[in-house]
Parts: sequence; structure tokens; C-alpha cells
Amino acid sequence: MKFFIDDLPVLFPYPRIYPEQYAYMCDLKKTLDAGGHCVLEMPSGTGKTVSLLSLIVAYQMHYPEHRKLIYCSRTMSEIEKALAELKALMKFRTQQLGYTEDFRALGLTSRKNLCLHPSVKREKSGTIVDARCRSLTAGFVKEKKERGEDVELCVYHENLDLLEPHNLVPPGVFTLDGLLKYGEDHKQCPYFSARRMMPFCNVIIYSYHYLLDPKIAERVSREFSKDCIVVFDEAHNIDNVCIESLSIDITENSLRKATRGANNLERKINEMKSSDAEKLQSEYSKLVEGLREAEQAREEDQFISNPVLPDDLLKEAVPGNIRRAEHFISFLKRFIEYLKTRMKVTHTISETPPSFLTHVKDLTYIERKPLRFCAERLTSLVRTLELINIEDYQPLQEVATFATLVSTYDKGFLLILEPFESEAATVPNPVLHFTCLDAAIAIKPVFERFSSVIITSGTLSPLEMYPKMLGFTTVMQESYSMTLARRSFLPMVVTRGSDQAQISSSFQIRNDPGVVRNYGNIVLEFSRITPDGIVVFFPSYLYMESIISMWQGMGILDSIWNYKLILVETPDAQESSLALETYRTACCNGRGAILMCVARGKVSEGIDFDHHYGRAVICIGVPFQYTESRILKARLEFLRENYRIRENDFLSFDAMRHAAQCLGRVLRGKDDYGVMVLADKRFQKKRTQLPKWISQAMLESETNLSTDMAVATAKNFLRGMAQPFKAKDQDGISTWSLADLERHREKQMLEEERARRQALANGHGANGVANGAAAAADEFDDDIDDDLMMLDAQ
Amino acid sequence: MPPSRESMQNRGDEDEVCPVCKSSRYLNPDMQFLINPECYHKMCESCVDRIFSSGPANCPVATCHKTLRKNRFRKQTFEDINVEREVDIRRRVMQILNRREEEFDSKRAWDDFLEQREEIIANLVHGTDVAKTEADLQKYAQENMRSIRANQALEAQEASSFQARQTQEQELARLRREAVRQEYENERRELLAGREDVLSRLAAGRPGDAATIAREGQKVLLKKSSARRSEEDRIRQKQAALRNSDARKAGQSGTTAADKAGDAGDTGLIKGLKRIKTPEPEKPYDPFGGMVPDKRDYYTLQDFYPSSYLDPIRQDTRMQAGGYDLREYYSRTLLEAFAGLGCFIDEEVSEREAANTDTAATEGAAIAAASTSPAGSA
Ligand code: SF4
Ligand SMILES: [Zn+2]
Ligand SMILES: [Zn+2]
Repeated sequence: MKFFIDDLPVLFPYPRIYPEQYAYMCDLKKTLDAGGHCVLEMPSGTGKTVSLLSLIVAYQMHYPEHRKLIYCSRTMSEIEKALAELKALMKFRTQQLGYTEDFRALGLTSRKNLCLHPSVKREKSGTIVDARCRSLTAGFVKEKKERGEDVELCVYHENLDLLEPHNLVPPGVFTLDGLLKYGEDHKQCPYFSARRMMPFCNVIIYSYHYLLDPKIAERVSREFSKDCIVVFDEAHNIDNVCIESLSIDITENSLRKATRGANNLERKINEMKSSDAEKLQSEYSKLVEGLREAEQAREEDQFISNPVLPDDLLKEAVPGNIRRAEHFISFLKRFIEYLKTRMKVTHTISETPPSFLTHVKDLTYIERKPLRFCAERLTSLVRTLELINIEDYQPLQEVATFATLVSTYDKGFLLILEPFESEAATVPNPVLHFTCLDAAIAIKPVFERFSSVIITSGTLSPLEMYPKMLGFTTVMQESYSMTLARRSFLPMVVTRGSDQAQISSSFQIRNDPGVVRNYGNIVLEFSRITPDGIVVFFPSYLYMESIISMWQGMGILDSIWNYKLILVETPDAQESSLALETYRTACCNGRGAILMCVARGKVSEGIDFDHHYGRAVICIGVPFQYTESRILKARLEFLRENYRIRENDFLSFDAMRHAAQCLGRVLRGKDDYGVMVLADKRFQKKRTQLPKWISQAMLESETNLSTDMAVATAKNFLRGMAQPFKAKDQDGISTWSLADLERHREKQMLEEERARRQALANGHGANGVANGAAAAADEFDDDIDDDLMMLDAQ
Repeated sequence: MPPSRESMQNRGDEDEVCPVCKSSRYLNPDMQFLINPECYHKMCESCVDRIFSSGPANCPVATCHKTLRKNRFRKQTFEDINVEREVDIRRRVMQILNRREEEFDSKRAWDDFLEQREEIIANLVHGTDVAKTEADLQKYAQENMRSIRANQALEAQEASSFQARQTQEQELARLRREAVRQEYENERRELLAGREDVLSRLAAGRPGDAATIAREGQKVLLKKSSARRSEEDRIRQKQAALRNSDARKAGQSGTTAADKAGDAGDTGLIKGLKRIKTPEPEKPYDPFGGMVPDKRDYYTLQDFYPSSYLDPIRQDTRMQAGGYDLREYYSRTLLEAFAGLGCFIDEEVSEREAANTDTAATEGAAIAAASTSPAGSA
């Protein structure tokens, strides 16, 4: 259908639209017009992606600026889904408009997924694929070939040079599969086609890392102009992605490999000195002059690029003491040896970067300045030496990156040295965690570079948290509720067992047999009344294991077995996917199954349980993070000191966003239905922190239930849901046709008019609005401190 | 001669066996290895005791004939013996060649110096040109005793002030943590007390009042929390201010330390050092900023200008009775006529952009300013 938002004609590829989709698009447009960032929370299963795409494409096509869209998603399957949606949208547009627009859209993912080279693509690890590909495509390899040496090149890559550089693939939308197929047909490399075509695309869809990981972003995303529209979809975990992209773990093993790498480099340098000293000399003189190697011919074959460096540093010349290759190698070796001595710790140490640097200097006379240039110097050296099997140097590169980061940032990072891998371990396996505490560091360049950044997901509550943590300001923050023709999901908080004893996963009582039995009963009762699939989430693997083994002893598992098949998620990806497959089969053939998984695991993040795959979700306990972790403690302190976010608030926010993610798994559309059970007495007070669309659907009477009451309510609900429900019933309420939309707009216009008149009439009428909200928010949260007591103990 | 690189390469791996007495860590779990910076040969503690207790002796390693003393034996810091040795050498060289970046003319000169120092260290490590390098070093050390000392002192000072700053920061962080916990506990206590209060009043009151009491309780809570919030803000602001002033103090001490780096001069070994500048003696204060107030650039003032208009005045005693002097009039008029000519707008703009000092205006402007005021008053 086609409608207008202000002056913008929007083509929406479905005959009906949800009211919240319309509201979402209106707000999006406002944001784009205003030019700023926004945070939008859109209920899951309400067609967020398609509304986003159809609005932005309409925007691109209508206005003369043709702002490019950079759409970031988390996983490959999400990227593929978005591309497919976009393809359908463009097809619809063509039909409606009667002509094909000049439009290109491509997705980008790693070489591993896009490679066509018969032997390279069979490698299992992504880094090896990357490295092997580089050795087949690097500029100097080609030069060698031209000189007549016997080196192997990748045909798929070579063929690209025969094509027009701005027209490697025809216009249109290519899904990843489509691109692979096109590449196969035309014998051209899909990966490089996508990379090189990026400047010519209207829409680019790729993973977060291409923008957030500074090591990659520099290479891939540098050329985009300021007015690009950047979208982070499913962004509820974006702060963690940011932090991970700048954190580094170093182990003894990786240091050993780094030493080996340094020794190899040394050998290579000596070889080159005897065979081709000129090259080293020319590199040296370039460095003396302070000339940045002006991103030579193919920026693609660059080996490493630098983590975020301030611009002034980039213009400076490399310090004199690492200018010569052999000096640099001895410098690296010294630094690695230093790190090795640090590995001999007997107790956990945390250290700030400045104090680490002083210690380095005391022991090895390594100053901050050359450390900062470490990564860059290594890149230059590797390029000069024309190394082929780059994957061997990965650990060395890691050390260099670490060196650069630790000497660049004084604040927002912490070094934590742990002698043991886990609490229980007796054999020392020291790890040096270099952890980023400040999510804003990685994402700051994105906010600075692009005028509109849109952060959206199904669960972003409380919305203020994200601008605070990521250090940006928004022009729009909005959470949409879900319009429903019938109450199609039933969120409940169960606080007591059938015996009226309180249930909770807090540390004092989590292993109490009474509590465990009550949890078992909840699962058992629900498996009795719920058709098909049930998903149960636990706060952690550890707790899941202990509780399941206790259930086994109590005979609860045996009783559940009568109704459902029981499957368990494990940390092993392959095992889990097998379990998932079995679960699906059991749900399809009517046996019914229970999947037990972890609220922070793979299942809770990326897997949908639509329709009969998930008729009930049970959240056992509040999924708090493991507060004993040093890294978490450091981060909490950082948040408190720098962003004024209190420990409790953050922990509680983090737990609830994961809980909300879990709940959202079972409801993937408006015709879907499901029960959502939050089983912990602490949820009763935290329910306000759930996304608006969930907390609104929760009745006051269903926030403090005992098991039997909950079961009775759920039974009623499920019976109601089993009644036939026709799509027609939703019309005008939860789905709008064009006519409904028009009506809504008329009404809106009238209302606006009235509001304006009223505002004129009584000058100021904005008092007394904010009172009601304050009272609810101030409810003090005294349950969390069970978990927090340990925090203070440090 | 230091042992060749190859012979030392694989030393790191055979941690377990003492190369002298062949006893292994397997038999003697707390065996300690020691090295002597003479030759860097590794041996176990008991061997050191056995061989060197009765005074200096030859190294027991077959190819090595160095004479070693017991008191120089020490534990190895780095796993790689090459690095260990390099760091020892580096320590010595760095103590002598301890020039600082601010002593050099340009960044380039500083970088060249850094490279040169690396070169010297590398020479000593690899045993090339040792004699000459050592001689150079000694010579330099003797010639530059003073600057070496001064720089060492500076470095020590910097280190200690850094240390002080670190401890101070840690202390502050601890205090802040403490404060937060306190705050948290207070809040909790208040809340509990408030709840109890409501309960007890509920228990005492009539059934009809229940709703009002509950509402009041809520209100009190709200009030308290908002009061608490403003209190918190106040404390936070104070803390922030404190932190800032600390930072400022620290910054100041830092600059004073750097300022003292004074004496330097080109020596034979190191190029590109800054010339020593004797500071120019301070000139007396000049309120016009180098401008001469009576200087006339564009004209010379004459005593007489023929003018029929002025003639009567010259004659008229009444006019001159009050001390009126026509020469005043001439100078004023001419000054006004030429006033604008002294302003070079482009020059002025570029100058301002370059120096960004607006204190010294150009001559013409100053003259104009000086002249308008008497003109106005006359
Ligand atoms: S150029 Fe393309 S096809 Fe060839 S190895 Fe690299 S990724 Fe694979
Ligand atoms: Zn021995
Ligand atoms: Zn010896």
C-alpha cells in the first residue's frame, strides 16, 4: 500500500500495516529530518525491519540527497533476512512505480561465508580463510607473478580486474546467497565484489563489527560520508559489543606464539637484508621522513590496521627508536618478555594503564611513545617483508594491538591479571585481561562521523540507559506498545510456590530444596497444561546443572518426562544445535518438548520459538550477572564514577534486558500466542523495567501469583487462545488497511487542531503530568542487595 | 666476549636441569637458578654456594673462563637470557645517554638521537665495535656530567610525583566508594524506618484512616528521596570540584619539573641539541608597546601654514588670549588627516591571527586613538 508521511510517499509492501509500524515510521522520519540520533524500542514480531527499510528507502528515493543507509545487524542469518526483506520491498516498488529504480544493495560478511576458491573455502576457521585469501590476492604477490615468479593467485579475484570497477555487479538487491550464485556464474569473487562496490551502494547491510571494531572499521567503513543513515538493529547488547571489540585477553600460550612470530620476523629481516636490502632501506627512509604510506594501491591487503588512534598521532612520525626493523624486533621481544614476567602472578592484580606503563618502563626502559606506534610499525614491517602466511603472526599482532591501546588510553581501561582460569582451578593458567570499561570509546567515532544513528531493538528499556552508557544525545526516544485485537500473550509473575513459600534464585535460598522443588513444580505443572513446546531459562549454566540434578533426585524430571521430552542447552555449540533440532521435531510431531537453556546463552539471543515451537516461556530466577567477576566489578565502578549509574541500577537493568529477551523469544508475530512466566519474587518490583509492551500487558492481579493460581490463569488463557481467530478480527484494531490509516490520520489531525486550540486557550497546561510516574519509580529496590553484598567486600 | 647468540638460544627451554651439577627440578623441586651478569651462564643455587663461597672462581661452564664473584649472582628476571642481558646493557647506556626530548631542537633531532642510542645498545649487545663504543660513551659521560646528573634528578622527581599522584588517586577512589556505600545504607535504613512508621500508625489508627496514612507515608518517602537527591548532587559537585583542583595541582607540579631542564650544548656524540640561550635582560616597561608617541611618519609639522581662513585668527589677540595656539590646531588637523593611513588592515588581521595578541595595536590606530581624545576636549 502507498501512503504519505508529511510530504514523503511511502510504499509499504503489504496490504495492511500495524499501527505501531506507522508510528515507528513517523518517528523515524522525524529523526532523519531533524538530523540526530534516536533510540526506538519496537515490540518483537511487529515487522520492525520492513518498516525501517520501507521508510528509509522511500526517504532515499524521494529526497535529492540520496543518503546512504548502513544497516548493521548481529548475525549472518539476520543479515540475510534483512536482505530478503529489502529485495521484496524493491520488487514491490518496481511493480507500483512501473519502472525499476536505480538502486543497489549488498550485504557483506566475512570471507569465510563468501569465498569461492575451491580449497580456501573449505578451511574451517575464519582467520585462516582470511590469511590464505590474502596470500592469494595481495598486491605484491601479483607483482611477483608479473615478474614471472611462480606464485599462485586466486582466479576469482583476478577476474574482477577485468570488469568496470564501479559496476562489478549489476544494480539491484543481492542477498548473500544471490551474490554467491552470481559470483559462481561469473567466476568473480563475491567478497571483493561486495567490498569494492560498497561506495556505489544505496544500502549496505553488514555486521556490527564492520563499524564498531576499530581494527576492521578503519578498513571497511572509512569512506562513507557524513550524511549516511546508520542503523543498529537488535541493539540491546550494543554496549557489550563495543566493549568486546576493544578488550584483549593474553595468555602464556599466546605469548609463546608471539615470541615465535617475533623470531620469524627477525629471520625474515636478516634474509631480506642479504637479498633485498633496498626495500628495508626505503621503508626506513619513509619512516624517517614521517611519511604515512599513503594507503597504497589496494587497501584490501592490509594486514592489521590500528585501533582507534587520535588524529594527531596519525600525522606524527614513528619514534626514532623503532624506526629500524631490527630495533623494532628487539623492542617487541623485550615487551613480550616483560609480559611473560607479569604472567608469574600468584594472586589477582588489577592495574590502571598509567601504572602498568610505569612498571614497563622501570623494568625494560620501554616508553609510552613507541608503544603507541607498535601496531602501526608492525603493519608497515609486515608489508615491507611481503609476508605470505600471515596467520602465524596473529598472536604477535594481538600483542602489538594491546601495546597501542594500553599506551593510548589512560581512562576507561583496566588490566586484570588472574593467575587461575576459574575459582576452583589449582593449576595456574594466567590470563591478562585488558578490558575496556567504557562502551562509549568504541562507538564514539560512529556518533561523531554520522549525523543520524538509529538504535533499535525489541527490548531497550529503560531507554535512558543507552544514551548514558554510550555517551550520546538523542533527538528521539520512544517505546511503542503493541496493539492487539485479543490478549495474545500472558505475562505473569510467580512469586510463591503452591505451598505459599517464596521462590527466588537469590544466593541465600537458591539451593534450598523447598525452592528447588517449587521451581520443579512450576515446570511440571506447565508441561502438563501447555501444548507443544516450552522453553525454560536459567540464570547460568552452573545453576542449571545443579538444579537439574536436584530435580533428578526428587523425581521431578521423571514426571515431566510423562508429558514432554527434555532437552538441554550446553556451552558446546554443536550439541546445542542438535538439541534444538530434536526439540523442533518433537514440537512438530506432537510429542511436545521442554528446552532448558541459559538466559545469556546462544538460544536466548538468536533463536525464535514462534507458534508451536514455544507456547510458554518460564524464566527461573532473575538472570543477574556473576557479580564476583573482577571485570564486572571494575565496569560497575567505572559506570558509577563516570556516568552516575549506580551498581544496582545497572545490574538490574542488565538482568531485565536479558529476561525481556528471553520472554520475547516466544512471541514472534501478532497471530502468535504464548504464556510468559517470570518465576522469582524479585520480579514483582522489577516489572516496571520490562519493555513497555510487556509490562503494559501485565495485569496488576497477575504480578504476585502462586504456582496454582498461575497455572489456573494460564489454563484459561490457553483455552481462549485455542478458539478460532480469524485475520478479519484484527482489522482496524491491530492491523490497518489504507482506509483505517486515513481515518487515523484524520483523527490525528483533528486532535492536533484541538490541542493547539486548547493550548492557546489556557496558555500553559503542562503541569501535573509527571507526578504519577515519579511515585512508581521511587519504589526502592531492596532485594538486589543479597547479590550485591559481595560487591562491597572487595 | 659474550657468548654467541646461538649457544644461548635454547637455554630457556631446559629449565629443569642445572647445567653444572645436572641435578634436576624433578629431584629438587625448589631448586633456584642464578645468573651472573659477567657471562650470563645459569646454574643452581647450591652450585653457586659450592663453587664461589670461598672467593672468586672461574665459571664452571666448559667454554667460559670468566672469573665470577658470589655477590654478583642474582635471579633472572626475564625468561629469555638475551633480553636479560640486553636490559642490563640498556640500563647502563640509558643512565648515561639520558637526554630529554625538550633538550632537542626538533622532533627529527630527537628521533635521530633515539635511533643512535638504539644503535649503541645494539652494538654492545651484539659485540660489534665494542671498544670504540665504550670509549665514546665514557668520553661523553665525563664531558656531560652535569647534564646527566640534572636529568637523573628530574627523572627521579617525576617518578616520585607520579607515585604520589597514584596513591592519592587510589585514596580518592576508595573514599568515593565508601561514600557510595554509606549513601546506599542510609537510604535503606530510612526506607525501612518509614515503612515501620506507617505500619505502626496503621496499627494504632482507625480503619477508615488506612488509605490516608498509606498515602502520607508515600509522600514522606517521596519528599525524603528528593531531599536526598539534592543532597547527593551537592556532594557530587563538591567531589568533582575537589578532583579538579587536585588535577590542577598535579599539573602545576609537573610543569615546574619540566621547566628546570636547562643546561645543554652540542657535544661530540649527540647532534641537534638546543643551543643554550642566555635569557635577554628584561627591558624597561613600555606602555606604548614600542611605539614612539610623537613620531610622525607621513608629514613634518611646520610652524606656519598659509591660510586666508586662519589669518584673522592669527591676528586676533582675543582669540589667543586664553593661550590658544594655532600650532595645536595644525598638529591636530594633520594628525586627523593622516590617522587612517597607519592602519594596514590585512597586516593587522594576519598579525592577530598569528599571534592572537590584541594588546599591541598598530601604530596608526594608537595614534588615532591618542589624538581623538584631545581633539574632542579642545
Ligand atoms: S579472492 Fe575471494 S574467492 Fe579468492 S580466496 Fe579470496 S575470498 Fe576466496
Ligand atoms: Zn647445580
Ligand atoms: Zn660463564
